[in-house]
Amino acid sequence: MSKIHIIGALVGALIFNSTNVSAEETLWGWLADFQRTKEIKPATDNQYLKECGECHFAYQPGLLPARSWDQMMAANELKNHFGVNAELDKNTSQAILNYLVDNSAEKSYYKRSRKIALGIAEGEVPLRITEVRYIKRKHKDIPEKMVKGNNDVKSLSFCNKCHTQADKGVFDEDTVSIPNYPDWDD
Amino acid sequence: MKCNIRFIIIASACLMALQGVVYAGESAQDIAIPSITSAYTNGSKSYMLALNEVSSSPQKEGAVNAAQAAEFEPATFSGSNAHKYLGLGTLAMVVATALAPKPSEDAVTQAQKDEQESSMHARFGRAAAALAAATVTTGLLAHWDDFHFEDGLSDPDNMHALLGTVGALAMLAAVSQAPEGGHAGIGAAGGVAMAVAVKLTW
Repeated sequence: MSKIHIIGALVGALIFNSTNVSAEETLWGWLADFQRTKEIKPATDNQYLKECGECHFAYQPGLLPARSWDQMMAANELKNHFGVNAELDKNTSQAILNYLVDNSAEKSYYKRSRKIALGIAEGEVPLRITEVRYIKRKHKDIPEKMVKGNNDVKSLSFCNKCHTQADKGVFDEDTVSIPNYPDWDD
Repeated sequence: MKCNIRFIIIASACLMALQGVVYAGESAQDIAIPSITSAYTNGSKSYMLALNEVSSSPQKEGAVNAAQAAEFEPATFSGSNAHKYLGLGTLAMVVATALAPKPSEDAVTQAQKDEQESSMHARFGRAAAALAAATVTTGLLAHWDDFHFEDGLSDPDNMHALLGTVGALAMLAAVSQAPEGGHAGIGAAGGVAMAVAVKLTW
C-alpha cells in the first residue's frame, strides 16, 4: 500500500464528507452525511411550531407516514382534532401539510422514522402516534401506573413528559426520565 | 487485488474516523445549547411553543397542555454508550491493523514466529477482534428489544445486528487463520461489514 493510496483515501473522504453534509433527501446524500440520524428529524418549521405547537407537543413529521398527515390535516378532520376544533385558514393548513408530508416517516432517512414507516401496513392510516406499531412495541413494557396512573404523565401522547430531549427528536432510552419514578429501568 | 482490498479498508476506515470527528463537533454544539430554563430559550418563542410552556401563548379551547420534562442529565455511562464506543474502537483498530507494518509471512524458526505474533499488525488485529466481540455482546445486552426477526432485513436494526455479528465473526476467523494467506481478505470483509453496520444506525 503506497502512501499515495492512503493520502488519496483521506482526501477523498474529506471531499466526500464536506460536500454532502446537509443532504438527507437522497440515498447518496444519506450515505455521505455523517451527522447522526439514528433518531427523528427535529421539527423546525416555524409555522408548524407556532400553529400546532402552541396547543400540544410539536410531534415531529417523521413520526407518521404522509397519508396519516394528509388525513389529519383535512379540513373536516381539523374541525374535530382529537376532540378540539383546530381549524386553520386554507393557506396555513396547506403550508403545514406540505411540511409534514415532505418530512414524513417514509421520506426520512432517520432510523426511527424508517422503522416507523416499515412497521405500518400498506393501506393503514394511523392518526394517533401511540397506535403506530413501532411506538406501541417500544412502550409495551412500561407499566400502566407509570403512565395513565401517573398524574405527571397521564398519557403516552405527552412524549416530552418522559423523553427529556423529545423537542430535539431524541427518544433514546438514555434520555428517558419518568416523573415520580426516578429509578425506572426498562 | 490485495492492494485494492487494503485501499477499500482504509477508505472505509477514513470515513468512519470522520464520523467520529463530526460526532465530537456535534457534542460540542450540544454543550453550547443553553438549558430549557435559560434566558436564551425563555426569549425564543419557537422553543417555547415547541415545548408547550404554559406561559408561551394562550391555549385553544379544550386543548391539553403538555409541559416539558424536568431538567434531566442522561447518564454518561450506559449500555448503549458502551456499545457505541466499543464499535468505534473496533473500527479504529481495523484501521490500525491495516496500516501497521506486516511481518514476514515466511516464518520458519521459533524466533521468527514469535516476532510475527508480537508484531504491531498482529496485536492490533487481535485487539480489533476482541473489541468486535465485546461490541456484539454489549449490543445484544443493551439493544435486545430493538431488533425483531419478523421485521426482516429491511429493518435497519436487524441489518445492523446481522452485519455487526458477521463482521465480528469474520475478524475472529481472520485472527485465528493468521498468518496464513487469505486472512487479510476475511479481516477486511469483517471491517467493511462492521463499518456498514455502524452507518446503518448512526
